[in-house]
Amino acid sequence: MEYGFDITYIFDFIPKLLQVLHLTLAIVAGAIGIGLIVGLLAALPRLYKVPVLQRLSQVYTSFFRGTPILIQLFLFYYGLPELLKLVYIDVTKLPVLFFVIVTFGLNAGATISEIIRAAVTAVDRGQVEAAYSVGMSGYQAFARIVLPQAIAIAVPVFANLVIAMLKETSLAFALGVMELTGKAQTLGTLTRHFMETYIALAIIYLAVSFTLERILLLFERKLQRHMRRDAADAERRWRLWRGRKPMRERSPEVSGKEVPRYEA
Amino acid sequence: MIRLSGIRKSFGRQEVLKGIDLHVGKGEVVAILGPSGSGKTTLLRCINYLEKPGEGEIRIGDQALDARRAGKKDVHALRRRSAMVFQQYNLFSHKTALENVMEGLVVVKKMSKDEARKRGIALLEKVGLGAKLDAYPSRLSGGQQQRVGIARALALEPEVILFDEPTSALDPELVGEVLAVIRRIAKEGITMIIVTHEMGFAQDVANRVVFMDEGVIVEEGPPAQLFGNPKEERTRQFLKRLTPEASYTI
Repeated sequence: MEYGFDITYIFDFIPKLLQVLHLTLAIVAGAIGIGLIVGLLAALPRLYKVPVLQRLSQVYTSFFRGTPILIQLFLFYYGLPELLKLVYIDVTKLPVLFFVIVTFGLNAGATISEIIRAAVTAVDRGQVEAAYSVGMSGYQAFARIVLPQAIAIAVPVFANLVIAMLKETSLAFALGVMELTGKAQTLGTLTRHFMETYIALAIIYLAVSFTLERILLLFERKLQRHMRRDAADAERRWRLWRGRKPMRERSPEVSGKEVPRYEA
Repeated sequence: MIRLSGIRKSFGRQEVLKGIDLHVGKGEVVAILGPSGSGKTTLLRCINYLEKPGEGEIRIGDQALDARRAGKKDVHALRRRSAMVFQQYNLFSHKTALENVMEGLVVVKKMSKDEARKRGIALLEKVGLGAKLDAYPSRLSGGQQQRVGIARALALEPEVILFDEPTSALDPELVGEVLAVIRRIAKEGITMIIVTHEMGFAQDVANRVVFMDEGVIVEEGPPAQLFGNPKEERTRQFLKRLTPEASYTI
């Protein structure tokens, strides 16, 4: 076979693909950034039951959670400029990346608003009363007592979203953005070694999501330290994790999933 | 001093407070007793405006608030004059014992962190938790958590501390340590209103005992009188049910 499998191509493609890694990461970072702001803004009216805004937020959330992201990308890229033309705003000159980041951002925002809503609801109501009784205003109670705890509750779910988002960025290729998948497609077409490009691509996605996972886990550990049952245990876990000791040295209760303890 | 006049509160159709008048003098310790559902906890929560009374006037010191035309500012001012100790402790679970005590000082009283820390440490030592400053609530026993709750309330130097069944959620062997702390601060002349089921404690600590039933104050008086020689039949029946002599067959 003329274009037989050749492992050296994989090593050759990896650095080439890494050249566009920043684009993929930019989409993820931009989308999560927009998503956090939009998500919080969309969650608040529903948490505080603001009449009209609550409805709007519901429509927004169901649209972005109920339609495929690929369709959303097409709608935004081809539809938005047409729509804005009606009010004499020209956005056709903006780079494709802009549309991609905004679409992914709004998409993430829908999920994040649901995550925030669930997490805020999960924070013990009694602590809000305690905050009021100490003399805090509604805003202070939310910002200082509810939000930090809600974030700690939300981190694991949020981590899933980030990882999912990383993989979904490959759809940006459909609009011709030369991110990881787009670049891989080009390399494949040029060299006719598709299998090798896809293997190289998979390795990179895997490495990036593994790294992201670790960073987010670190974050989770730090934010949830108040949920630990006892200090010595938490300390040991922390050391083990940083030292990357082999699995067998982890005793079952150390590697077991945390369960926050609620006193009756 | 605290003066409640004509406090009424309904949940839906059910009226739980039917016009309560109560006066608590400076430095007085008042215990509120009564069967469950009598409205005693609701009354306490109304004083701190965690429950919005339907009508009536609440006065703490020179701050008065009419329930029918209370703005956010009035509520805020009223709350800053009182502090509450909750049945479920309600400590901020993402903050250490010390941070729990400091929180109100730094955020509400705008005290510097160093100063707040100093006062926090002093207060936690006072409630016997000098060794647990940096422990998170999840690592403290119920009794310890409640003592942090008391330190948090004391830190604000309120004109009155409201205790909402402070020992009801505790294991029996932990009740003593919390009561001992409350007893100690009662001696310091801090005004306190305590909703409790601990008869012996009420008798021992309170200057005055208030008996509530079905949303009204049935009887009030010094503990010796109320426990020893209650005037009202309802009080008598309530106390009879709770006397330690009562035996249970299991």
